[in-house]
Amino acid sequence: MPFTKLNGKLIEAQVFPGQKVFSQRGAMIAYSGQVTFTPNMMGGQGGVMSMIGRRIANEDTPLMTVEGQGRVMFGHGGHNVHVIDLTGDTLYVEADRLLAFDGTLQQSTMFMGSQGGVMGMVRGQVTGQGLFTTQLTGQGSVAVMAHGGVIELPITPQQPIHVDPQAYVAHRGQVQNKLSSALGWRDMIGRGSGEAFQLELSGHGMVYVQASEEKL
Amino acid sequence: MSYPPQSPYGQPGYPPQQGGLPQQGGYPQPGYPPQQGGYPPQPGGYPQQPQQYGGPQAPLPQTAAGGPVVHDVTTLPSNDNVNPYAFSVDLNGQYFLQKGKMVAYYGNIQFHGIGHGPLDALIGRSFHSPLHAADWVVAEGQGKMILADRAFDLNSYDLEDGNLTVRSGNLLAFDPRLSLKQSIIPGFLTLIGTGKFVAASNGPVHFVEPPIRVDPQALVGWADCPSPCHHYDHSYMRGVLGGIRQLTGLGGVSGEEHQFEFIGAGQVLLQSSEKLMADINIGHVPAEAGIPGAGAPSQAGRQQPQQQLPNIPGLGNLGDLGRRFGL
Repeated sequence: MPFTKLNGKLIEAQVFPGQKVFSQRGAMIAYSGQVTFTPNMMGGQGGVMSMIGRRIANEDTPLMTVEGQGRVMFGHGGHNVHVIDLTGDTLYVEADRLLAFDGTLQQSTMFMGSQGGVMGMVRGQVTGQGLFTTQLTGQGSVAVMAHGGVIELPITPQQPIHVDPQAYVAHRGQVQNKLSSALGWRDMIGRGSGEAFQLELSGHGMVYVQASEEKL
Repeated sequence: MSYPPQSPYGQPGYPPQQGGLPQQGGYPQPGYPPQQGGYPPQPGGYPQQPQQYGGPQAPLPQTAAGGPVVHDVTTLPSNDNVNPYAFSVDLNGQYFLQKGKMVAYYGNIQFHGIGHGPLDALIGRSFHSPLHAADWVVAEGQGKMILADRAFDLNSYDLEDGNLTVRSGNLLAFDPRLSLKQSIIPGFLTLIGTGKFVAASNGPVHFVEPPIRVDPQALVGWADCPSPCHHYDHSYMRGVLGGIRQLTGLGGVSGEEHQFEFIGAGQVLLQSSEKLMADINIGHVPAEAGIPGAGAPSQAGRQQPQQQLPNIPGLGNLGDLGRRFGL
């Protein structure tokens, strides 16, 4: 596990020669050893086509490649950091929540709009996800940022979970993701409960929720 | 000197919460079994931080019954943190604090600006520079005083015949036995002597030992005089491409081309975020030659270095560009 949590807002990554770590630009707090930080024009892995894909999908958070030998500390904006270890499965997360991730992980952009039709698009608007999201697959660790602490909630087929779209951070596993609404006449006249939209997650997996409704 | 409740960086078993994080363990692949149904209790899901007061997820103190702790004048900690964001000073005499950082007090305490009548003598004794003393308040009397600053993490530091240099905006309060001086490095203050002071940081403070390079915005201060210097990742600054990149931003910058490098014995204090706390005015230094940050030319002969650059024929006068491109 290359990421060690130093405290709730700071992680340390061990960097070895030949092993890359990607991190959000400007998120380095300190390092020791011989480490270089290279701006990553492509915004991640893959070739030019991946870059164009990310640009179109608006998932092109500025990343940098961290290489060399040493220890690097990452933290960003005073946000809480949560380390997720992937063992061959897939994590779906917004690119701007990525603090750092292993270079061993495969990064790609996924079209979420196909899930749920028109509601899917509304969901993208409400959650701030847009129609695309970043997926990371493989063996390795991901450090995601959240406002407030992160809670993990398991999803089982018997027990779908409803999540406030603003508190949603990431999810993993075979999860169907749809926006359920409880819009009524009260919402139309501005007397709603403020919880008209919820994200309904069903399937097998895990959803990560932050203890705040503030988006990053 | 003893530092707050963190073990020095790099010691084995450093993060106390490491073993207690169940989420970081292997993730059972098939079936994602529900963790004991419903909302998983997550033993230690909020990492227990027995040593460290100031983790953002450190739970607020609670009574056995589960309610919040109600403090009174006897149960308030004495010269210790009430919670990660508040610090209680057991006052008996004088204490210096930044303006507006007191949130509550018990007892008989007066707050005066420095320079108020008999307190005038303090300037000479504790500040050594009259220019920034106006931003400080003297709390005088007996009682308990709670300090806080916009819910930033607070830590107290004990100096024993030591020295610690801290960014001016982070210093909150200090014991008048310490003397406060402006550092030669602009924007920093140095505390010298024996006593306690309280500093705020954006996220918990982390201690590291040199050699280390740190993000300039994450630096809170340093103790025991490691030598601070600038470090540039020179591959960006070098050659024609580097110059274009520097000037136009084309090709992207990683945002980490510039760090502070610390060499030597001592400790470096980092905050967990690169969001700076606003500096407070620490006064000016006299505009004399040889004083950094004074605005005076360092040497009379080097006032206009650009005019001394040779005007390279055929390139026009590119000013400093020529030097950057190594021409």
